[in-house]
Amino acid sequence: MRYDPDHIRSLVHRDRIHRSLYLDPEIFDLEMQKIFGATWVYVGHDSLVPAPGDYVTTRIGSQPVVLSRHSDGEIYVIYNSCGHRGAIVCNEEKGNAALFRCCYHGWTFKTNGDLDAVAMPRGYGKEFNLNDPSLGMGRLPRVAVYRGFVFASLSPEGPSLEEHLGHAKDSIDELADRAPDGEIDLSAGVHKYMFRGNWKLQLENTVDMYHVPFSHESSVRRSGKQFSRRSGQESGSAISDRGSAAQRWEQRSAWGARSSGHSYNGHQPIAEELPDDPAFMAYFASLEARHGKERALDILKPKRHNTAFYPNMTLQALNQHVRVIVPVAVDRTEVHVYPIMLKGAPEEMNRGFVRHLNLTHSAASLIQTDDLECFRRCQSGLSARGSEWVWFARGVDTDREDERGDYVNQGTVEIQQRAQYAAWLRLMSAGA
Amino acid sequence: MTTMAMNGSKHVAGFGDRRAIEEFLIHEARMLDERRFEEWRDLFADDGHYWVPLKPDQASPDGESSLFYDDKAIMDTRFERLRHPNIHAQTPPHRTCHLVGNVSVQNVDSSRRECTVVSSMIMTDYRMRTQRLFSGRVEHRLRQDDTGYKIVLKRVDLINCDDVFELIAVPI
Repeated sequence: MRYDPDHIRSLVHRDRIHRSLYLDPEIFDLEMQKIFGATWVYVGHDSLVPAPGDYVTTRIGSQPVVLSRHSDGEIYVIYNSCGHRGAIVCNEEKGNAALFRCCYHGWTFKTNGDLDAVAMPRGYGKEFNLNDPSLGMGRLPRVAVYRGFVFASLSPEGPSLEEHLGHAKDSIDELADRAPDGEIDLSAGVHKYMFRGNWKLQLENTVDMYHVPFSHESSVRRSGKQFSRRSGQESGSAISDRGSAAQRWEQRSAWGARSSGHSYNGHQPIAEELPDDPAFMAYFASLEARHGKERALDILKPKRHNTAFYPNMTLQALNQHVRVIVPVAVDRTEVHVYPIMLKGAPEEMNRGFVRHLNLTHSAASLIQTDDLECFRRCQSGLSARGSEWVWFARGVDTDREDERGDYVNQGTVEIQQRAQYAAWLRLMSAGA
Repeated sequence: MTTMAMNGSKHVAGFGDRRAIEEFLIHEARMLDERRFEEWRDLFADDGHYWVPLKPDQASPDGESSLFYDDKAIMDTRFERLRHPNIHAQTPPHRTCHLVGNVSVQNVDSSRRECTVVSSMIMTDYRMRTQRLFSGRVEHRLRQDDTGYKIVLKRVDLINCDDVFELIAVPI
């Protein structure tokens, strides 16, 4: 095989990676096996399947799967494939069913994937065991839920989800704690966009603080400030002047875990005044009632701007959303963006979150379209033979190790992407 | 024919007249195809909205995601960006061509000078060697004032509203 572990190691250096990582279909196939087929992958959120029988269909790498809530109230992740002839069983993006029924020969399955019944069963011989678990749709070897975030692994062994999430887990807590009920809700629809480029272009970008003043230049208005990205704000921040704004970018913290590949950027270290509109006041009152004033104020202090959970999910706190990266082919990627509503917050506030995300992250938005254009141009340009490498060298000499053995830096460094490729290398060069 | 005539100001007496309204819809689509975005915006009433839902039969733009849900302030922001010299997503720009048909005027309220117009729309767009086709059912809620028809709501229900889209930069 061309990609033995030694060859894989020659493609990733501490400050650069080989361009074939974006271009070679063989590497893509190997990623589906060794990354998406091995580590914990985000599947969906339990608020998408609130009632027994609710399900959504998605993919984990190349694997079609169903995320369902069974009659026992538990979350299941099962392969979306009939145990008989292999057809897709759940053909809709979402729905509710007492049983899943295959269109082809009418086999039915319970919503936990177990075989329910075979049509015309007397035609099968005595040795054909209709209770054989392998005749079901099949469950993924490992499924774990953390505060509603459902992850699954195609590998029966490996670190637990909590070990895998590590310090990045705090980003989920910070977000969910902002909900007066302690839970978030992703059921307000989904923005879906596609680009003709490799999935890693999107993953790198979600925690890239270096690109903002350049890629998103056109979102800066004539006033010099970006348009408002929050409900109730007249305008956004000055993202691209050369004075104080640039300084604030430099002051953001940056963190990357080389073992797991997760990373985040801190929030800009400026005190933001809390809004004083009636909806926010009602929201603050319910947070305070639950946690007390001191803790409520701490919860609302912006800490992390965005977090990328390797390999396929990111959280953003500014225009709050969960983003899911779905690799389709080496040069084709789908992305699903879910606005985050805070359970227990005033309806007006949640409506504001949803509405603002239309403007920043729909396929017709004022921010995301810039990134999509950059991804397209990257994929087209990477085939040029002027260089073999893609560089992530920014800040490489100033990375510091923290008490957990993770790496920290600040500002517009590329530590986040270095963490992603350290994890890529570890997973991709693991034994056959 | 002048813009004023297309706006329907000569048809005040015959409010709800299908031909005048069809001319108005054709004019509106032309403003987009000719990238006269600010003039397109001016066709909306001050409380007007442009809405492209993400789900079939979506009940409301409130609390549910939409591809577009613009009031006039958001339109201003959007079009200021479209005029920015360094808008990468429109370098080069999309070219578009709208076809408006099957126009049907419904719910004519002559006392309030408001009506609902349902039509079918096809928009082709082209950029960077890729041509796309968007089509759907359009609902216009129109109000007539002394300057002509104003759009209170333009709702575009694309037949592929829940599709996975490549970037969209201009209104449909």
